[in-house]
Amino acid sequence: MLIKNFYVVFLIFISLYIVHCNADRIKDTMYMTITGSVACYRRMNATHQIGCSSKRGGSVGIIHYCDTETDLDFVLHNGTAGEYIPILPTKLFKTSVANKLFKNKDKISGLILHPNNEELSHFTHDTQCPNALFSSNQSTCPEGGWNNFGTGLLYADIPFPIFYVEDENQIKQMKNCFLKYNKDAFAKQSDRSLCALELKSFMYGTTNTPTCQRRSNMVTNLNPIKVCDPLGDSNVWGTLFPLEKGPENNSQPIKNFKYIILSARLDTTSLFEKTSGAESPITGLVCLLTAAKLLKEMSPKWNPNITTNVLFVLFNGETYDYIGSQRLLYDMERGEFPTTLSINNDILPSIHLDNITLFIELSQLSLGNQIYTHVLNNTPDLNNFIGKFRDYNPEMNVILVPNSLPPSSLHTFIRANNTVQGMVLADHQYEYRNPFYNSIYDNVSNIDYQYQNGSDKIGSDSIQGYVGNIALMLARSLCEQIAGNFCNQSTVPDLNLVDELFHCYLEDPNCKVHKAVQKGTLPKSPLSLYVGVENVRNFLPNIVALTLAWFTGERLGPSSSNCTIQHRNHIYRYYNMSTDIDNLEKMSCYQATVNLSEAVSPAFIIDGYDWSSNKYSSWSESSWNEMGVRMFLKPSKIHERITLAVGSITMILSCIIVYFIHSRSHILFDYPDIDSVPTNC
Amino acid sequence: MDLGKIPNDKKLNLCKMYFRVGFAFLPFAWAVNAIWFFNEAFRKQPPYEEQKQIRKYVICSAIGALIWGIVLTSWVVVFQIKRSSWGEFADSISFIIPLGEP
Repeated sequence: MLIKNFYVVFLIFISLYIVHCNADRIKDTMYMTITGSVACYRRMNATHQIGCSSKRGGSVGIIHYCDTETDLDFVLHNGTAGEYIPILPTKLFKTSVANKLFKNKDKISGLILHPNNEELSHFTHDTQCPNALFSSNQSTCPEGGWNNFGTGLLYADIPFPIFYVEDENQIKQMKNCFLKYNKDAFAKQSDRSLCALELKSFMYGTTNTPTCQRRSNMVTNLNPIKVCDPLGDSNVWGTLFPLEKGPENNSQPIKNFKYIILSARLDTTSLFEKTSGAESPITGLVCLLTAAKLLKEMSPKWNPNITTNVLFVLFNGETYDYIGSQRLLYDMERGEFPTTLSINNDILPSIHLDNITLFIELSQLSLGNQIYTHVLNNTPDLNNFIGKFRDYNPEMNVILVPNSLPPSSLHTFIRANNTVQGMVLADHQYEYRNPFYNSIYDNVSNIDYQYQNGSDKIGSDSIQGYVGNIALMLARSLCEQIAGNFCNQSTVPDLNLVDELFHCYLEDPNCKVHKAVQKGTLPKSPLSLYVGVENVRNFLPNIVALTLAWFTGERLGPSSSNCTIQHRNHIYRYYNMSTDIDNLEKMSCYQATVNLSEAVSPAFIIDGYDWSSNKYSSWSESSWNEMGVRMFLKPSKIHERITLAVGSITMILSCIIVYFIHSRSHILFDYPDIDSVPTNC
Repeated sequence: MDLGKIPNDKKLNLCKMYFRVGFAFLPFAWAVNAIWFFNEAFRKQPPYEEQKQIRKYVICSAIGALIWGIVLTSWVVVFQIKRSSWGEFADSISFIIPLGEP
């Protein structure tokens, strides 16, 4: 017995030693994970599902590396080894090729795209008329569409998973594996082991938003799981003048204000889980922030003669049928903007659509010497205001585009009340100049931006100069509109600050501006500009709000711990922020009228909302468990069959053997003698 | 339990009990009854007094189980085919809804 125990202990130690030496798991030696891949995923609206999903447990296919469309055609016609996963350069991913892939969906189990260092002339998968269903009825989409190169693939229900792999080293590994195992003797592929990929991006949500929302909220479900979440985040808003007057403890709301809205959008999207968004929305956003800062610097302090205030709004989720603007309008209509306090409360005025006299939206901007002002219903007031643009910026060619309204938040407001006077400032007339609208390639090179890092060489012929120029033109015109001759017209934009802002949003979130407004450390890669789902909030609206507060806030004195705990009355925010961008250590206390507002579509908060009414945006995003790509050597069909056969034969044999042993057990084993049989039997 | 070792009257009682229990929406009880007592009802030689009654219960149980089987199978087939097109109604009568399917 002792010896037996000794052996057991000895064996355990030996096995522990062996396990310790070879810690590789079988799966690690079988699979090679492809890192840095970003997937296409599924979204739903009131009627459709769009995007991609893999099979449950992953879609598997044989790698076929394609340099040209001929390579792809070859595998589609001659492939014999089951389903394939072609690796295509993004240049080839156009409508004709996509349709070809959709048609052969039983031969294709997935797709890998990679940039391949090629220059692209255009790459945009939004539709030609973005957000057409939620546009004002009066406006029409021009022939060929605003987004002329738009393929609409972003809104297609793609029958296989797609991954985008930016790292060319990873692509090289897949290519090498393909060359080693798959390429030669193509006709005999089915007889040998082949290099294969497994794409995992299984989506839980399907069909449409009403279905997946219903399933997420089922009480009787034994497996309660969120299958989709509404898209949404926060809008950022701020005002030039405070919304209340009087001393701190006895303040009165200023109720008779008229408002001019200066807006831009805060989000973009792309086919994959990665965004760039340089021209749309960052140019508009930077221009708005710069204009807000200039306006603050040049306008006088509020006095009772000033009856117009400026409301800066950055709408979030506009890419997905104007989520942010629809919600803001909904809140305004219910008297819940800027707060949910009762109407006619003695703390804050509520802002209604009727109080808005002018709506100016900054759309996409790019280098040039002209700016297009789109106006749907021309009025003398609007003409007058556009005249101011021309007066204040004689070098800029301000071109009026009447009876036209490109996709913009203004559509939402005009849909509610077609007497809203508004204009959209953009770099294009009837066709976007941005060939990468809502795609991963709308990056710094698309707007010719180069970070100057404080150099004094930023010329007016750079994107920074252009954006600064538009901001100045806007600020001067707005200031004159609200304060007449009391504006300090000598104020000029700080182009280095414009440069920093672009750097913050497009290259490095830990830039000087962000360090000036808050002391936390931000991620190294640019902040995502995709609106995301409502229960996972992005940091972008917060940091933009802080920046807007810094630009439009009132400096109360040196910073102190008392600053942020001052009297709060719903409206002011107090922050300790750096006084100067070049001296981040010197801090001041700022008081600003800046806040966030919900940007979740009213469709998700109205009880019993009729999804077929098409009144509000209905986009939701599917949930998923895991996403990833891994490569492995898939055994040939014969190999797989032999494995199965050997396993089956072993099992059948063991059954037969056990049966025989059992039936002859009286010969094989000694039974103990049974002396007495129970009487009952 | 070995049926060969119990007396005939107890067999009949057992068979009768299984048949009655089956009425509580338990078609599997009928199926078990029909299979378990099949030999007793039809093949047991020599015939005995209670065999006729057992035969009756076995036949009735078998018919009941068969009807249940047909009804259940057709419901399962219809439900699986029509689940997605029934929409909200189908979801409301489901306890487990498959992920990622319409």
